[in-house]
Amino acid sequence: MKKNIYRNIAIVTAIFALTLSIMLITNYFQVRKATPLQTEVVQTLKELNDVNADNLQLQEQIRQLDLLSRRAYFVQRSHLKTGLYLLLGMLGVLLVCLRLYYSGVKDIPEKEIDHLDDWLIQSKARKYVLGGAGAVAVAALVFAFLSSPYYSSLGERRAQKKALAQQEEFEAPQEEIFDAESFDPAQLTADATAPETEAPEEETAPQEESQTEEAASEEPVVEQPVISTVTHNAFRGNNSNGQSNARGVPVNWDLSAGSNIAWKVSVAKPGFNSPVLNGRNVFLTGADASARELYCYDLLTGELRWTLAADGIAGSPSTMPTVNGDTGLAASSVATNGSQVCAIFATGDIICADIDGNRLWAKNLGVPDNHYGFASSLLIYGGEVIVQYDNDSDGKLIALNLSNGNVRWTKSRTEKATWSSPIIAYIDGKAQLVVMGNPALTAYNPDNGEMLWKVDCMSGEVGASPCSSNGIVYGASEYASLVAVNAQDGSLLWEANDYLPEVSSPVATKDYVYVATSYGMLIAYDASNGEILAEQDLGTQFYCSPMLVEGKIYIFGTEGNMYIFSNDGKLTLLRTIQTGEPTFATPAFTDGKIVVRSTESLYCVSAS
Amino acid sequence: MKKFLNSLVLLLAGWKAAAISRFPRPDFESGYQYPEYTYAVPNEMLWDIIDVAMLLILMGIVTWALYKKRTRGPILWSSVVSVAYFGFFRGGCVCSVGSIQNVALAFVDNSYSLPLAVFLFFMIPILGAFLFGRVFCSGVCPLGALQDLVNVKNYRINKAVAGALSVIPWIYLAFALLYALTRTRFIICQFDPFIGIFRLGGDIGMIAFGVILLVMSVFTGRPFCRFLCPYGALLSIFSSVSVFKIGITPKPCINCELCHNSCPVDAIEAPYGNKVNESNRTGVKRLLAYMLIIPVLMAAGGLLMRQAAPQLARANREVRLYSQVMYFEDHPDGEMIPEVEAFYSQGRTLEDLISSYEEVHKDFRLYGTLAGMLIGLVIGVKLVRLSLKRGRKQYEIAHSRCVACGKCFSYCPQNRVKAKVN
Amino acid sequence: MKKDKEQIDNSPMPRREFFRKISKAIAGAGVLALGGAAATKVKGNKSASLYWQIDPEKCTQCGRCETSCVMPVSAVRCIHANKVCGYCDLCGGYYRTNAKELNTAAENMICPTGAIQRKFVEDPYFEYTIDEDLCNGCGKCVKGCSSFGNGSLFLQIRQDLCLNCNECSIANVCASGAITRVPYETAYKMKDQA
Repeated sequence: MKKNIYRNIAIVTAIFALTLSIMLITNYFQVRKATPLQTEVVQTLKELNDVNADNLQLQEQIRQLDLLSRRAYFVQRSHLKTGLYLLLGMLGVLLVCLRLYYSGVKDIPEKEIDHLDDWLIQSKARKYVLGGAGAVAVAALVFAFLSSPYYSSLGERRAQKKALAQQEEFEAPQEEIFDAESFDPAQLTADATAPETEAPEEETAPQEESQTEEAASEEPVVEQPVISTVTHNAFRGNNSNGQSNARGVPVNWDLSAGSNIAWKVSVAKPGFNSPVLNGRNVFLTGADASARELYCYDLLTGELRWTLAADGIAGSPSTMPTVNGDTGLAASSVATNGSQVCAIFATGDIICADIDGNRLWAKNLGVPDNHYGFASSLLIYGGEVIVQYDNDSDGKLIALNLSNGNVRWTKSRTEKATWSSPIIAYIDGKAQLVVMGNPALTAYNPDNGEMLWKVDCMSGEVGASPCSSNGIVYGASEYASLVAVNAQDGSLLWEANDYLPEVSSPVATKDYVYVATSYGMLIAYDASNGEILAEQDLGTQFYCSPMLVEGKIYIFGTEGNMYIFSNDGKLTLLRTIQTGEPTFATPAFTDGKIVVRSTESLYCVSAS
Repeated sequence: MKKFLNSLVLLLAGWKAAAISRFPRPDFESGYQYPEYTYAVPNEMLWDIIDVAMLLILMGIVTWALYKKRTRGPILWSSVVSVAYFGFFRGGCVCSVGSIQNVALAFVDNSYSLPLAVFLFFMIPILGAFLFGRVFCSGVCPLGALQDLVNVKNYRINKAVAGALSVIPWIYLAFALLYALTRTRFIICQFDPFIGIFRLGGDIGMIAFGVILLVMSVFTGRPFCRFLCPYGALLSIFSSVSVFKIGITPKPCINCELCHNSCPVDAIEAPYGNKVNESNRTGVKRLLAYMLIIPVLMAAGGLLMRQAAPQLARANREVRLYSQVMYFEDHPDGEMIPEVEAFYSQGRTLEDLISSYEEVHKDFRLYGTLAGMLIGLVIGVKLVRLSLKRGRKQYEIAHSRCVACGKCFSYCPQNRVKAKVN
Repeated sequence: MKKDKEQIDNSPMPRREFFRKISKAIAGAGVLALGGAAATKVKGNKSASLYWQIDPEKCTQCGRCETSCVMPVSAVRCIHANKVCGYCDLCGGYYRTNAKELNTAAENMICPTGAIQRKFVEDPYFEYTIDEDLCNGCGKCVKGCSSFGNGSLFLQIRQDLCLNCNECSIANVCASGAITRVPYETAYKMKDQA
């Protein structure tokens, strides 16, 4: 009798509880779906009111809706609460009734127990554990494979591989070019005596035979604009390493007579920065107290494609910082990657443009505390532009996101002001960002700024940039020393002090290191031990940095003489070309062309 | 509400220099006085004392009922009190199950100070289990008590399946430790199925899971305790070697078989004569094989978890933030989600984020490997235990599984005899 | 096999007894070690990390406090530090940015629940007060006050409402990582408190 009562109560409460919980769940989802206080309607109406002046009807509507939604919110809130208590109470009653109903029931074995075989159960359980664990492990493996970097970034890795392959491609021909044996200096000296027009033809003749492809791309340069793929993306070429794999580079020209000169223009504003080229575009900057500008010239015609002024930048100083006449406001060379170009000025203004001259972003990094003027060139690595922002107060190395100028990483440096530029050295296929400084030569991971190694070896005013070859990084500066550092571990291999550069940066092959001093000496050091192999006194002054192109060394003296040497450790002077225009900038090289910036003009030497 | 009862009051005074002041502080001429607001801080000290006292009292009652009275009545009432007090009134926090993570966190994070109450909630049940078995589980743990209270019928789960499933709490424990040690989150608390029911609110998914578990526990004993609870796994070690052990009856078993079906968690093992038809050598060989396989399993588990570490680390705030910021850096035109906005507005540098990202990854690799090894060890030990042959001549309690609910007492005729004599 | 069986049948299983004692001792030592090690990490109630609290300096008012709390109405509420307030008429936390008229019409107010009350003090100052029964911690006013004002409005977890979950579900989703465990002394991070 009693049991029946319990059962009936239980049934009734169960039905009620079920209904109530369904109601509550619907209510819950309704509340959640339309959080009354965040209704879009009220929000849009309010925004509408912002634009409509004094629409009384609209305002009234807003007020009504607002009131409604508020009431709904609070009512629902209290409903939910009451409902939950009600539900809980019912469930409690249901539970008590159920327990009372079943209180006398015992789980007594009904029939005779057939004894379980424990061992059988255990064996089964063991199988289940093994099977389950195996299944989970396999699932985990599959999942790990599917979502691991190996799989998800397969495309990324392919891209990386491609980049690496390109890198190797870049390095491979270098060895070929710089192999002194393959180059016959005698031929060039012979050419020098031959009529000028013949020289380039004979020069390219052996190449045409061996490398028809290259020659094919090179020959029609004059007739139709086939753009060479050889780039010169930053100061002293790609990675700022003083080397170019351009081919068919002219070895003779006459600026005053115009022979082998494709075009010559004058640049609107002065600057000591070196031209940079990529595809058909030649980039350089110029600045004076009135404006700082980035120029883009056409490589084929010399036509000024566009000018972009670095103006209207927040934080840019209204008065120019005092700079030395030898440095100027635009000493830093630009950097490009073919689709973007970045330029920095002594004011600390950095701008980034696309190749059509549209400004992408610009910012001021703060006026560098530098008594001659900021001179470090930019370098683009991956998606970032690297600024060696060494100065006397808060030196740092900055990597900015190329697409928006946001700081990717910064590394504060204790260095004093330097005028040297960063380079990228590829060591075992991995990029190292190497910068000179006072007092150290330091390598960083360009991806995150992590310091890889550091060698305290510099002093004085550091103006030259480092260079690298064959896993070794070389750094040199006047009043300090020329050092060779094993870039794998940062250990010092050797040191030399005889002839040191002041402005010009060294360049290295796997056998030789070349150094040009500001008192006109060009030195070939043995890359393995730092012994002097050859020296040349040109009686000039070297501010331009030597460039290794096609197995030859190209360097300008400040008075404007281009000296071409052999790259064989003997420093045979192959040719001297007098241009008559003082030249401080390092020229840019591409297939069959040299772009030179003198103090007076910008011109392109082209093998006709 | 309840916390008001014994709340201390924090007076607001002084001046914080860090506040922005775009608008100057007004000079009032009318003699306006700043209103004094007080914000209550509940006196947790008192509640902690009450909580610990309740824990001790309830455990005492259960132990007394089990060992002295040998009856289930007080345990049932203890369960009701526990569900009402620890569950509904105190909102389920902090519970012993979750305290594992607090203790683990305290070991790695010096900025986290372990409150005394949490420590006691962690240790007292363990101590209890070592002395008297899982008396905490029976009627003190609100999670167990709730399942126990709703249990009206007992349908058996296949013993082999149940045996295999009992590995899960250990795996859960390994993951809980991993996420606590890496300062990522408290997964036991986040995925607590019953806390939402106690609080009448919370994550709807977890509440639904809790309801499902409760419906299940109407028909079979304590599914959460048996197949999920990581703290129960920990206690089972201590209860299996406890100093005092609960028996179905203190008197000799007469093998009447009445208790055969009584246990809701299948902890009563029937007499079993070892009649396996296999040579002794095969058994020993198997046992040895499984013992030797333990290091292999540990290594495999460790390796697997180490491999999975980057995936597991995604739950971490810093790792998530890193990927969000990186995504934004690559898609600067996209929408700025609040996390990224907060990242930039706090003036944190990418460098800082990268280093903490790597730190977290390092932690995950280390603790992931250890957790994997633990999982391997648990599976190995389980396999070894499952290949041990042991005969029994009477009904015995498997103390590692027994939750000391006392249900079997009333089934044993020996207990009744005693009651009548008294 | 036979021998084994004999042992089970005849001997009082001294071997098993021995194992039991050993494991008991190990377990006892384990309890002691675990307890001892954990006890070194225990801090007194005054400095123990007991409460969850928002650091107003970090908070970015993403609005998740309102919706993520396990409570039906979030334990996060807006708090007003009068001593930081500028008592302005045009209050960034009271009026919407484009408010046309400075009156209490719904289209001009920021607070969706009307929880901010204001009282005229003297020309040109107004006192603002939060009605905490209406506040739901959405942080809209805080955003307004922070972007146009002294930041005297800020979000705090009301400790008398907070359930002190072991794992705070708001902290889990907090965009700025502003929610951390704090000890008793700093149970509130007040803006007008030293």
